[in-house]
Amino acid sequence: MDVFGSFALILAFVCAVYAFAGGIAAILTRHPLLIKSARQAGIAVCALIFTSTLSLVYLFFTDNYSVAYVVSHSNRDLSTFFKIAALWSGQEGSLLFWSFLLAIYVISVLLTYRNKNGELMPYVGVILAGVQLFFLTISNFVASPFKALGVANASGAFDLVSRADGNGLNPVLQYPEMVIHPPNLYSGYTGFTIPFAFALAALLARYPGEKWIHLTRKWTMIAWCFQTMGILLGAHWAYAVLGWGGYWGWDPVENASLLPWLTGTAFLHSVMMQEKRGMMKVWNVWLVFITFMLCILGTLLTRSGLVSSVHAFAQSSIGGWFVGFLCIVMGVCLVAYFKNRDYLKSENQLDSIVSRESSFLFNNLVLLVACVAVLSGTLFPVFSEYLSGSRISVGAPFFNKVNIPLGFLLLFLTGVGPLLAWRKTSTESMKRNFQIPVAAGAVGAAVLAIAGVREMYSLICFSLCIFVTGTIVQEFYRGARVVRIRSGASWLASGVDLTLRNTRRYGGYIVHLGMVMIFMGLAGQAFNKEVEKEVPIGSTVHIGQYELLLQSMDQKQEKNYVAERMIVEVMKDQKPVMMLYPERRNFPANQESGTMVAIHSTLKEDLYVVYAGMNPQNNLPTLHVFINPLVKWVWWGGMVVVMGTIVALVPNRAAVMVLARAEVPSGAPELSGMQPAPAALREGHD
Amino acid sequence: MKIKTRIAAGILLAFMALMPPGARRLLADQTDRTHQIGAKVKCMCNGCDQSAAKCYHTGGAYSGPCETAKTILKEIDAHIATGKTDEQVLQAMIQEYGPPAYVEPPKSGFGLVAWVMPIVYLFGGLALVMVIITRWRKRPAVVAAAPGLSGVRVSPELLARAREQAQRETEE
Repeated sequence: MDVFGSFALILAFVCAVYAFAGGIAAILTRHPLLIKSARQAGIAVCALIFTSTLSLVYLFFTDNYSVAYVVSHSNRDLSTFFKIAALWSGQEGSLLFWSFLLAIYVISVLLTYRNKNGELMPYVGVILAGVQLFFLTISNFVASPFKALGVANASGAFDLVSRADGNGLNPVLQYPEMVIHPPNLYSGYTGFTIPFAFALAALLARYPGEKWIHLTRKWTMIAWCFQTMGILLGAHWAYAVLGWGGYWGWDPVENASLLPWLTGTAFLHSVMMQEKRGMMKVWNVWLVFITFMLCILGTLLTRSGLVSSVHAFAQSSIGGWFVGFLCIVMGVCLVAYFKNRDYLKSENQLDSIVSRESSFLFNNLVLLVACVAVLSGTLFPVFSEYLSGSRISVGAPFFNKVNIPLGFLLLFLTGVGPLLAWRKTSTESMKRNFQIPVAAGAVGAAVLAIAGVREMYSLICFSLCIFVTGTIVQEFYRGARVVRIRSGASWLASGVDLTLRNTRRYGGYIVHLGMVMIFMGLAGQAFNKEVEKEVPIGSTVHIGQYELLLQSMDQKQEKNYVAERMIVEVMKDQKPVMMLYPERRNFPANQESGTMVAIHSTLKEDLYVVYAGMNPQNNLPTLHVFINPLVKWVWWGGMVVVMGTIVALVPNRAAVMVLARAEVPSGAPELSGMQPAPAALREGHD
Repeated sequence: MKIKTRIAAGILLAFMALMPPGARRLLADQTDRTHQIGAKVKCMCNGCDQSAAKCYHTGGAYSGPCETAKTILKEIDAHIATGKTDEQVLQAMIQEYGPPAYVEPPKSGFGLVAWVMPIVYLFGGLALVMVIITRWRKRPAVVAAAPGLSGVRVSPELLARAREQAQRETEE
């Protein structure tokens, strides 16, 4: 099966070369057969990548320890569930998995638009084939997952061997979220290839209008949704497994995942400017280009060893390949832009600074500043070493200090932007739309201050969260009230009806609500408490309202590991409330160990208990306990964001507005060539 | 409880009650303080860029702080026990491990560049946005409303385009 998989991968490479070169020839000659054959080659590439990936999965499932990658990342006792995760636990497998996910997107695009957009699709096909070609080159010639296991013999040649068992999977990856986090994150990274391909294709083909924006909106939202889920699942994994009590440490790998998310978010907002007003065309094209390049840069950062990271699961020397690819992509984008930039001229003017257009501009500014600040902070140790000779660390406190104010600005704009009208917003409209949310935010801040919240950042954040929630609730209330008056339905039914009539707008509001919840959770960090103590059996640890009694310790033998477990009784106000079992797992296959945190989670706070090890001098176990307020809001907020994105992807159920045909005098002259005058717009929303 | 124990507990309670509030807090929060200061000192294991308090170095004997980070935390504990302030503890750690022990760039020398850059990005970006807004506001409208349209016959295509544009611009 390893030969089969390897052969499929080579064939995929050959087909990708044809799809790329044949596609270029098809664009130049416009020969229908050539166009069709390039597309078919693109489909074949995807089918062959699927075959190759499934072959590798089969090798894991059948414990084939003659393949080096399988030996390094699996063992016989590893559960089937985690054997799937072993596929992307190392360099070679994760690159093949990247190609696999990209192939799903590519085949979906090629099949969806096989009979549509005839002018654009050959360009799209070539660009997608080019990206696939790069990853297939790496998987075939630089980091093949199908390398046979060999040992050097006396003559210096290699003998093929097979091992009885493998080294096992890294313990920190043996956690259920590790089976779903990387596919989500990679689906985000690879998904941004589609809007990139369409944007570049539209520019190269000088494709008219905003068609590429309409075509790629859903693909961008899908990629963005996966990226969001991937980031949050990764954060939850770090929280539940790594045992340091937090979920975001501004590690370079985490930063790398955040960068394309920030630019992707900016694109999803600024794209409306182009759709509605024909503005920001250059900006949108470059946002898509940059988002794609940041996806590649992220891979470069995490795999080249350029920056230190604790996520060193897949480091190697393939960074140079990614630098080369990045340079080619940048070169192509620059040439395409300078050759066709006149095609990207804006159509409209800005009527007022107090308008939806301005809010989008400022939203994009904040997102881009955050992106550049995170990127430069991540790379600063490298620059400082190169320019000043000493490596200056840039850790979490720096990123927090820089990004918290930017986060507040963004949160503020989340509330303000949607209530501003396109073109111009009058003072009366501002008063009408903002007086209740602003009052709610101010009252909320006052109540919290009286209640004893003295952390300035948290106070600002909670106040802004109340303000933004107020704007969203007000929007739903106003819309639902109109529907309710017309239909007589209940408030809930009216709200649902309203959402389904304009899924994009109200789905967007739901996404904003999810972001508010995430900010609430982040603000809770200011009130974290922790205590670390060596505890003899029968003694207690106090934290907040809780008292933790270490009752005993035991061991349990599982198939792939031995767990050393603390049995902790948690008491609140002298009454037992629950039992928690933090444990340490020892994996005999690779002689490594990992921690499994015990968490009691409520909306108010998490009680987070870690068995932090045994002191070898006195044989006393160490208990590390944290109280982390509002963490659950982050995870629930993430779910609301995903739900909102799904709603926004659903087509509208009915038209929002129906205009009656104007009565025109029969003898009047016809003005067929005339441009329509800009429609008189109502302020605010419908 | 024996009488001696009661007396000792009473003296301890009285002592704690007489202690200034800051000192009481110091005793209660010593672990928190260690971790707060530890969050400003880099873990010097050369394997991560995390702080000593937030090190979650994977692959160690346990998840969570590696041995180097634990040693640093113990040193911070020892400095706190001598009655040093947070800043004095931090300076003692920097003296021992050198400037790379700062978890965030120092606000002097080349480290200052890291702090200045985000401000430059923000204000540079802001200036750019203002320039763009000014240019957009000065730009003449591409399409001007045609005067005296009443009584003019409008083609169905034109009407459809107008409707489409109106819907696009008022939908959201």
